[in-house]
Amino acid sequence: MSDTLPPVYGGKILHVHLDTGETETEAIAPEDARRFLGGNGFVAKQVAEHVPADADAFDPENVLAMAVGPMNATPFQSTSRGVLGFISPMTDGFFDSTFGGTLPQALKTTGFEVVVLHGRADEDSYVLVHEDGAEIKPADGLAGAETYETCQEIRDREGVGYDTHVLANGPAGENQVRYACLVHESEIREGVAGRGGSGAVLGSKNVKAIAVQGGEFEPEPAGGLRGRSVQQMGRLMADTEMLQEYGTAGLVNPINEMGKLGQRNMQTERADPDDAEAISGETLRDEYVTEDTTCANCAVKCGKHVSVESEGVTEAKIPEFESLFGTATLQEVYDIERVIKANDLCDRLGLDTISWGVTVAFARECRERGLLDDNDSPHLSFGDADGLVELARKTARREDFGDDLAEGSFRLAESLEEGAERYLYGAKGLEFAAHSARGLKGMSIGYATATRGGSHHDTRPTMQYDGHHDETTEGTPEFAARIQHFTALGDSLTQCRFVSEGGWGTEINESYTEAINLATGWELSVEDVERIGERIYNLERLINAARDVADRDADTLPHRVMNEPISDGPAEGMYCPPEELDAMLDTYYRFRGWNDNGHPTMDTVERLDLADVAAAVSE
Amino acid sequence: MEVELRFFATVREAVGKRTTRRAFDPGATVRDALADTETRVPELEGRLLADDGGVARGITVMRNGTNVTHYDGADTELADGDSLSITPPVTGG
Ligand code: SF4
Repeated sequence: MSDTLPPVYGGKILHVHLDTGETETEAIAPEDARRFLGGNGFVAKQVAEHVPADADAFDPENVLAMAVGPMNATPFQSTSRGVLGFISPMTDGFFDSTFGGTLPQALKTTGFEVVVLHGRADEDSYVLVHEDGAEIKPADGLAGAETYETCQEIRDREGVGYDTHVLANGPAGENQVRYACLVHESEIREGVAGRGGSGAVLGSKNVKAIAVQGGEFEPEPAGGLRGRSVQQMGRLMADTEMLQEYGTAGLVNPINEMGKLGQRNMQTERADPDDAEAISGETLRDEYVTEDTTCANCAVKCGKHVSVESEGVTEAKIPEFESLFGTATLQEVYDIERVIKANDLCDRLGLDTISWGVTVAFARECRERGLLDDNDSPHLSFGDADGLVELARKTARREDFGDDLAEGSFRLAESLEEGAERYLYGAKGLEFAAHSARGLKGMSIGYATATRGGSHHDTRPTMQYDGHHDETTEGTPEFAARIQHFTALGDSLTQCRFVSEGGWGTEINESYTEAINLATGWELSVEDVERIGERIYNLERLINAARDVADRDADTLPHRVMNEPISDGPAEGMYCPPEELDAMLDTYYRFRGWNDNGHPTMDTVERLDLADVAAAVSE
Repeated sequence: MEVELRFFATVREAVGKRTTRRAFDPGATVRDALADTETRVPELEGRLLADDGGVARGITVMRNGTNVTHYDGADTELADGDSLSITPPVTGG
């Protein structure tokens, strides 16, 4: 075992106490780097150590931890992301949410791998991080400001242009809309920490934004990381052609062809091909895209800007595939210009387009079935495109019915008559992303067991679209678990998932292992690397088990997914009945070394070298 | 028999249209349809079929919405009225 930290790490954790303004620096233990790698692993450890199991997401004892990976600011491709860790106001469990742009690389150069915000500021503030530490600054005049506006204003105040990298809250986060996101506007691409309510947590701390100015630290890989990265370039560029040309919106048409793209709050899963075409990547590219945008150190450039003159939208971030699901197909709205307008507004207000869209679609179905009426809101009809814009504004301000939407679909269902829960689409309090929980078996078990509930970045759909584990339960629980290791590892490297899956592989393999060894000088085997991902996933599970939000009862799927087969199209008849889920859970728990209730056994905790952190979690 | 070919993303760009209908002899397979498309669209030559006659690595083919990997891959037989969707693989999201 090595007892020095490889020089690819900056080596420090910065704790910022918002109530006192004090900061302190902690050294990263070399053994922790080996065990938790960075990013996702590091923020999970911070949450485990600092947030009591009975603290609510909006309690000052919750933390918001931001971290980068060991290879940020090295030639390893697209380690351009940062990760936020916190207890989520949606799931009441551990959540990690990643974002791209330029801020994470700037943070790396400060020498701080992790910044942890503790407590609550007395006044509206923003936190400025640089290589000497952090300052808590007054956010005078920024109350109610939109995300991009806030980024711009803080850049202006700091006076070094885009060298101040800002991740900002919008009105939604200030008003603690439970799924409020944080938005980073860099010089070259927007980045959104979209899911789980990081904006709401930051808002509860009276912090409007986190700003970072880079420093002098240069990570030193132990070996030839540049050459190894160059070797992957050919494959990366060949396998990400769709993303390069169309962004993630390119997925609309092919997934609709498969009959696995939810419509009308998941009542069906296939749109008329002409409707899908109207909101597709092909249409966006032909008629609205003005330029490509990119995160730092990325050749794929999946980001795009779009303009819509009729809506007064200029150079807005293109709606991502998941957002098109949430704000278009689930709503039966195929007016792309209004959809672009609604998405731009969500980005400005700081609303997660997935949770918000699924919640609106849920409310629309509840109205259709008589559980809500027009007095609740005049905008609860499927197909109402104008209503989207109005509802987004009201949600961010928590005005009228927007206040109910701001709670998310699960809490909204609880406030309605019994039976409303039949129309939910999510797990553990978080709405599902676009990848069908009925039409992809790997997503059925993957979502049910996800740390984050409805996240498509725990188990990934990518291999399933290629025909692996989409239609069979055979080997699928093990597949879902191993992909969860893969994503925990990737989010600890803080490498962009699109680049990693396209260029380096969709599972943990020799290539990732070589790269990690070249960066750190360690001599890990593929199994060792897999174990890092497994360890992090188990740590997340331990946090959630201690909070009573992760057990067999919680590892479930919504009524529609377990009881209503897809009604037509190529995937007709597909669903995941309760007995099928139960059988998959048995296999999954056995594979993981968890007990029948879905908790890691002591043997598993010890095998994964987690005993000390497990003790901290249960304290 | 007649089959509808549906093109997406960069494949559509090369072909220059969204869909086309093509007549094939009874017993024709996915391979025949891909080879026919490669012949008619020189830009796609070598991009739809791999050297071993299988579906090329950078291409996903769906017969009536189901990935042909669930049938017999390029050997999958086509039937009158089928639709064949040809797209770069689904990545990202
Ligand atoms: S592929 Fe897209 S999201 Fe990923 S690093 Fe590149 S530009 Fe950013």
